[in-house]
Amino acid sequence: MLCTPVEHLLSRRRFLGAAGASTLGLAGLATPAVAEELRKQRRQVLFVWLDGGMSQLESWDPKPNTPFGGPFRAIPTAVPGIHISELLPQSAKVMKHLAIVRSVSTQDNSHSAGIDRIQRGDPKNRGVVYPFFGSAVANLVGDNGSALPPYIWVKPMNGGFIYKDAGFLGPKYGALALGDGKPPENLVRPKDLTAEEDAERNELRKLIDAKYAEQRRKEYTEANTHAFEMAAQLQKKIELFDLSKLPEKDRDRYGTHDLGRHLLLARRLLEEGVTFVKVTSYGWDTHGDHFNGAASLHPKFDRPFAAIVEDLADRGMLDNVLVIACAEFGRTPRINGHIGRDHWPEAWSVCMAGRGIKKGVVAGKTNDKGTDVATEPVDIGGLFHTWYRALGIDTQKVEFRNGGQPLPIAHEDMKPVTEVLA
Amino acid sequence: VNALQPKKGPDPNAPKELGKPLTPATQVNRVRFSPDGKTLAAACFDGHLRRWDVSAKEPAELPPTFAFNGWVSTLAFTPKALVAGGSWGALGAWDTSVRDLKLLWSADAHDGWLRTLAVSPDGTRLATCGKDGFVRLWNAADGKKVAEFDAKADVLSVCFAPDGKSVFAGDLFGVVREIADGKVSRTFEAKELHKLDRIQDVGGARCLLVSGDGKTLFVAGAEPKTGGFVQAIPLVIAFDRATGKRLSQYKGANDTEGYVTDLAWHPDGYLALTTSGQPGQGKFHFWKPGADKPFFTGGKHPNCHSVAISPDGATLAVSATNANSSGNGRVKGAAGDYPANSSPIQLWSVPRG
Repeated sequence: MLCTPVEHLLSRRRFLGAAGASTLGLAGLATPAVAEELRKQRRQVLFVWLDGGMSQLESWDPKPNTPFGGPFRAIPTAVPGIHISELLPQSAKVMKHLAIVRSVSTQDNSHSAGIDRIQRGDPKNRGVVYPFFGSAVANLVGDNGSALPPYIWVKPMNGGFIYKDAGFLGPKYGALALGDGKPPENLVRPKDLTAEEDAERNELRKLIDAKYAEQRRKEYTEANTHAFEMAAQLQKKIELFDLSKLPEKDRDRYGTHDLGRHLLLARRLLEEGVTFVKVTSYGWDTHGDHFNGAASLHPKFDRPFAAIVEDLADRGMLDNVLVIACAEFGRTPRINGHIGRDHWPEAWSVCMAGRGIKKGVVAGKTNDKGTDVATEPVDIGGLFHTWYRALGIDTQKVEFRNGGQPLPIAHEDMKPVTEVLA
Repeated sequence: VNALQPKKGPDPNAPKELGKPLTPATQVNRVRFSPDGKTLAAACFDGHLRRWDVSAKEPAELPPTFAFNGWVSTLAFTPKALVAGGSWGALGAWDTSVRDLKLLWSADAHDGWLRTLAVSPDGTRLATCGKDGFVRLWNAADGKKVAEFDAKADVLSVCFAPDGKSVFAGDLFGVVREIADGKVSRTFEAKELHKLDRIQDVGGARCLLVSGDGKTLFVAGAEPKTGGFVQAIPLVIAFDRATGKRLSQYKGANDTEGYVTDLAWHPDGYLALTTSGQPGQGKFHFWKPGADKPFFTGGKHPNCHSVAISPDGATLAVSATNANSSGNGRVKGAAGDYPANSSPIQLWSVPRG
């Protein structure tokens, strides 16, 4: 076994130790050369979640001029021979960085179960709740020495600490959700509170926490403490959230809508070394008026997605950051009566780029009408193997520990999509 | 008490179905009658134009014609030709004097989805609009572009003023511009037809029509409640053309009825409209402008997408959708196949006067 998650556990001591170092930032640790070396060793993930399900036919796997092809054209990309939907023109330009799996075939056509099954990797049922991919990576990789929360979820609406993502790993591997990309409420010390008073209040909080912890399960009280510690670290990075200081050109390229702003924040978080950044966009469940919906929605994914891929490439960060654009399923080839597409786990696509991923390739294919996978189907378990392998985590050797119980980190009957692995 | 109520018989003023629906094996975007009322044409998802001779008691299908790649999104008749636009931006005209349609000319009219086209009252000009934000005018005889206007927004609908000197163009944001000589002469605001739901711009001025007397501009779409699921209340707003003031409106009963998908003006002075609806919903209505509610509603055929009225006002055509058209996952047909949906087209006789 190469390593176990235990070695990456975010112990309080390690977290605070790293946090102390991180106060200075990586550049403050040592020489710029050493800081650069540490930066190069990072293993990070950007996970773009298009909640509700983006249509594969209007994105990565167009089937123009077929019975289910819809109204849109396919366009050539920067990689000869690869065509994607006309609704993703900017992604077409950065295709040389991307890998598309067009043979994804999963098991669940409902949102409620599908989201969990996909994000937990749909492992064999062992009577335990597996972690979401973000929690799993936080556990397996750690915080990359950033001392920032290892799993940050940028999402519309409310934020908070989402411990349920962590499953059996325990609440402290949950997601710190930044509602509308904003820092947690009350993160900044009020102006009328001095630093000394703040420190005193924190000491009091710790005493109360300790008293509270005596009566509760350890993992929950640890998570509570962990959340405060994460907030304390974010306090030192509050400037991260001020996108107004970025060049106007950046804001134009990403867009001023939620997904654009949130992907721009994601870039900032990745630059600071956050291990796993999930960006969620809601509203992709286009059962009705789908093509007008896609005409509005897809470009709002396309521009900031291509921009962040381009920016990560320009900064040399695609060597570290695994980029994934995914949903709980695709959308039906059949166009329903109110011109929508329904849920379709049978044959859909996932796009990825960056660390460990081959550049400018397509793996797998669907049949001429897009109604079936025409090559070996890839379930989410296979994608988890692929993603872990891309991150340098050997799924044959690394295991989770649930108490004393060893558990595979990905479905043991499945294998990675080697065609997209560098 | 019920026994004392007079029994309701069939409404003598209601339209009556004429035989079984026409059954193109594809979905249909638009249906329109030819100027002589003898032909019904359909713009189809499979890139074809389909036609039926409806002059006899039993309609007879004429040879279909492949028109464009992508969808045929819209069509209309000029006095001499059938003109159609496609979702890949093409515009074409076909000679209708022969049994097999003969292409007269074609043009790359828009970059991408050509949404709608309209024919000027004298039949010499065509107006088109597209997702590329342009409104363009064309010579109907040879397909040469004669003018264009950049609306800088997805333009969903277009129609001519009765004098043919200006066109109306409705966009995704519910703004309708009257354009003459390349300039906006008047703007009609119907912004409740648009909603920004999360990051999705939903709705828009989907259909435009000017009343037969030329005095009223009808702008139709829906009041959207959500994006993806398209919960929307159908809405038609009547504007006084001369002043731009709102006159009246028809608003559907609830948000399962969806969008107004098409409008047609009946010579007896009322509007026929179709609505998209949620699965299994969607109706067509006859509405007299100014009235509180429609005086007839047809709900037998769900998810309606187009309505046409023959020039003599005696026949109505409504394209709808087959039953059970929606469903998650693999819905299999009787033969175990994966069937596409289709658009049955029902003809109706319409009482006059």
